[in-house]
Amino acid sequence: MNKIERYEIVVVGGGHAGCEAALAAARMGFETLMVTINKDDIARMPCNPAIGGLAKGQLVREVDALGGEMALNIDETGIQFRMLNRAKGPAVWSPRAQADKARYHERMVRVIMSEELLEVLEAEVVGIGVDSDRASGVIVRGGGRIEAQRVILALGTFPNGLMHIGEESFPGGREGEPPSCGLSDDLASLGIERGRLKTGTPARVERSSVDFSRCLEQPGDDDPSPFSFRTERIDQKQVSCYITHTNQATHDTIRSGLDRSPLYTGRISGVGPRYCPSIEDKVVRFPDRDRHQIFLEPEGIESEEIYINGLSTSLPRDVQEGMIRTVPGLEDARIVRYGYAIEYDFFPPRQIYPSLESRRIGGLYFAGQVNGTSGYEEAAAQGILAGINAGRSIKREKPILLGRAEGYAGVLVDDLVTKEIGEPYRMFTSSAEHRLLLRQDNADERLLKYAVRCRLLPKGQWERMIERRRRINRAAVRIGRERIGAADCNEILEGGGERPVQEPQSAARLLQRPRITIEMIATAMAGPLLELDRGERVALETRVKYEGYIKRQRRMADRLLRLDRMPIPEGFSYDIKALSTEAREKLERFRPVTLGQASRISGVRTSDLSIIMIFLDRMRRDGAPKGAEDARA
Amino acid sequence: MEGETIVALSTPPGESGIAVIRISGARAQETLDGLTGRKTRESHRIYHERLVDEEGRIIDEALVVMMKAPNSYTGEDVVEISCHGGLQVVSEILEAAMRLGVMPAAPGEFTRRAFMSGKLDLAQAEAVADLIASETKLQRQVAIEHLEGGLSKSVREIEERILEHLALVELSIDFTEEELPTYDTNEMTASAEGLVEKLETVLKTDVAGLKLRHGMRITILGARNTGKSSLYNALIGEERAIVSPVPGTTRDLLRERIHIEGFTYYLEDTAGIAETGCEIEARGISIGRRAARGADIVLFVIDGSLEPEESVLDELGRIGGAETLCVLNKKDLGLSLDEEAAAKRLGVERVVAVSALEGTGLNGLRRWIHETSVSGSAADVGRERIAVNARQAEALREVSEGLERFIASAREGAPAELLSADLRSAAESCGLVTGRSVTDDLLDTIFSRFCIGK
Repeated sequence: MNKIERYEIVVVGGGHAGCEAALAAARMGFETLMVTINKDDIARMPCNPAIGGLAKGQLVREVDALGGEMALNIDETGIQFRMLNRAKGPAVWSPRAQADKARYHERMVRVIMSEELLEVLEAEVVGIGVDSDRASGVIVRGGGRIEAQRVILALGTFPNGLMHIGEESFPGGREGEPPSCGLSDDLASLGIERGRLKTGTPARVERSSVDFSRCLEQPGDDDPSPFSFRTERIDQKQVSCYITHTNQATHDTIRSGLDRSPLYTGRISGVGPRYCPSIEDKVVRFPDRDRHQIFLEPEGIESEEIYINGLSTSLPRDVQEGMIRTVPGLEDARIVRYGYAIEYDFFPPRQIYPSLESRRIGGLYFAGQVNGTSGYEEAAAQGILAGINAGRSIKREKPILLGRAEGYAGVLVDDLVTKEIGEPYRMFTSSAEHRLLLRQDNADERLLKYAVRCRLLPKGQWERMIERRRRINRAAVRIGRERIGAADCNEILEGGGERPVQEPQSAARLLQRPRITIEMIATAMAGPLLELDRGERVALETRVKYEGYIKRQRRMADRLLRLDRMPIPEGFSYDIKALSTEAREKLERFRPVTLGQASRISGVRTSDLSIIMIFLDRMRRDGAPKGAEDARA
Repeated sequence: MEGETIVALSTPPGESGIAVIRISGARAQETLDGLTGRKTRESHRIYHERLVDEEGRIIDEALVVMMKAPNSYTGEDVVEISCHGGLQVVSEILEAAMRLGVMPAAPGEFTRRAFMSGKLDLAQAEAVADLIASETKLQRQVAIEHLEGGLSKSVREIEERILEHLALVELSIDFTEEELPTYDTNEMTASAEGLVEKLETVLKTDVAGLKLRHGMRITILGARNTGKSSLYNALIGEERAIVSPVPGTTRDLLRERIHIEGFTYYLEDTAGIAETGCEIEARGISIGRRAARGADIVLFVIDGSLEPEESVLDELGRIGGAETLCVLNKKDLGLSLDEEAAAKRLGVERVVAVSALEGTGLNGLRRWIHETSVSGSAADVGRERIAVNARQAEALREVSEGLERFIASAREGAPAELLSADLRSAAESCGLVTGRSVTDDLLDTIFSRFCIGK
């Protein structure tokens, strides 16, 4: 292919980041091209067959509210739906679903192929076209050149991927796929710094060889909740997962193979995640544990493969076989694929702006594992933001930058640009200091406005959300005002195991008691609640129960917002002798774009912020040029 | 105009002098109204008011003036309260203001605001930045010194316990599907109650104790038999230390309160420094050196009748950040070098020659102490110490409130995410005292202690 093609936006990679980026760009009206090494790899799940989970479920809801595809895709192709953490409070409820991997991929391919302005090209990108520090397109293997105004890199674990099983190491992007080598080197030659990370995956076994009767069944929820605000309900039949455990024999087998483990023989130099250790790591680090939990998860309705969640490993094949067969239910298991570890290049994200655009090369965006994150959901969230911001920058509009109190996606990006990536970054609910504000039930209230502004969702979606909020408001007013007689109150209170009252009470007061649920007061307060669906009732209940806490977190968030609204211009010099040495080094390294971000860099103290403020003020009063604030984030 | 309204003591701390407390920001007037229980005042007029705490108890009578923006030092609404200089009184007014929602001023904050509102010219930016940096250094030094005395162990223990509880609660939220230890609400509530009690004790004893010590500390240091105890007695005006020609008589630390020009000082006499084989005496010497490191002012006593030895210079170099004055004692025996020559030899700006025995030269010494304490870095340290104390007391009260909320929530059977919110706010308030960051530490604690990961 030697002719020159022109697009407005080129997305390199067809994984979860690439799909969202390409769809968002095309849906915003840009001529978009997705370049992938293999079309058959679009929206594949190389690791666990599940979408969502703790904090990740919230991210999927946010991607949906931003007009993304992930939630719709899993709603249609999920085979088991569960709402995790129901007992821990509504802010940490997290939807999770097992996916049918094949169907998940197929549906996403259909969506991508039918998107009018989106084309897909099967090719390997080996370089970025750059014109005076701005991306001008990509170069594919064989010398073809594709011109584009913006380029989004969503390469996953492919850059210089090196896979390990036991004492074998071989280049690869994932199971059965070649790595992408030229591109990482090309980026390095453009002055973009690289780092090395590691991740891993467990073996898969054949379904017919597993004895599920020896395991504990884990069914889905009876009333599955959809991920998407646009999905009415989940109708498909659900399948179960199964729980089993390792035992002493498993651990002995693992120990016997450690001398051939690439983790312990020093073959692997990349840093792996602490939250997702291999089984050999768990056995070595926690020798006192007599067993570890394992989830057996089907990879699809028709798939013969079972994913052994909890047994991630890079031990030699014979050791993998030996250890798997010590596990109850897996005694006769036939391994279809072996577990492996993979090392890959990433590009430390302090080199990008919060818009995900490279600081070094204008018009070049990074999303997903190339930024050092892990997880399909983390990738999707960055993908959609990269797509949106690339599109907006073509139109010379300001990028969408989410605050930490606005969404997990905001926390994610902010962490990426203010923290050192020491291990693959995963979203945790505890990373969000305003967690009570970032609920899965209000993702639309927080983010829908951006989707509508970018024309990713029709205005009707916004109106439906407003209407929903009005209904909840009306009900909130009524249950706060109308009183229930003491006798009826006490019947409700008794039912919930709460202390009785003497006087009539408003339903809201009753609902503030932790053990009283909205369904309990529904009997006495049917009227106001009638027009609310299940989700809206939860939203109302949360609002009433959490009033004080939510107010407190909101106040805190607003206070921090002040610093986030103070920009630091591009060329600001930290060569100020009053700054502490540590602060000066860190600030130079991260070059935060607001004082808020500066405040979150470890080693930067309040006094350093005060000093920066003084000099910012001096610049302002000097009438110094404000810097290219619009071009960046 | 900035969000927070700030408060600080702006005069040097002294026992019976007048102290000026300054408040700046949008809520300055509101805070003054809260402190006096009275509304509406004209700008730039002085009023005589009674200041009350939140229970309506009278703290002090004071002269107050309210200066409306922009005609004030910072360009914001500013309130100045001239109260009695007693440290107890100053601390109480600061604390009362903080309870009305005013924040303690950050280092250099008043000056920074003056700059930002255009009250200082551009050329002064570097100077303001340097001021912030030096005050920050001072504040950290004082805060660390605070923590090294008594307070630290208790607060760190409390913080450790809260973080343990928080880690367990967070574990149950973020790693819900794994087989991990769960938390026992009853156990945690009981533990939290214990912590609240402990905090009360800390606030009553440690913090109050620190407050009492708030007069400036003057430590007398020097080689054996240079006449330190004689100087000590001469300054306090009574025979308190054992004075004898036998070297090494003062083995422990002696402390007495003295007044100079209306300011209070704690004068400390230490064991004479010497090479010694006696363990008790060696301990006394190390107590003395430590006292000097924590002091505001050090009087370094030298036997002026003898030629200063090399070891004297070494010892002088070991004294930390305190303002130090070299005192040439035994003037009555005839000085081997005059004041100027001695200063040159010792490499210091000035020395004062006295005779503790005859009581000559003491007035010059007192004058120097007074000047140093109302202007130099010793004054800054004293002021900072009061601020740090008020700030830490307030932070500890917030820890207590967070724990109380946690106990109430836990009793009511609140879900994990609310328990976590309460514990987190308590831990964050602890962090204001110990400097630890909850978010950074939390995941590290979880990953290092529990086997995570499916």
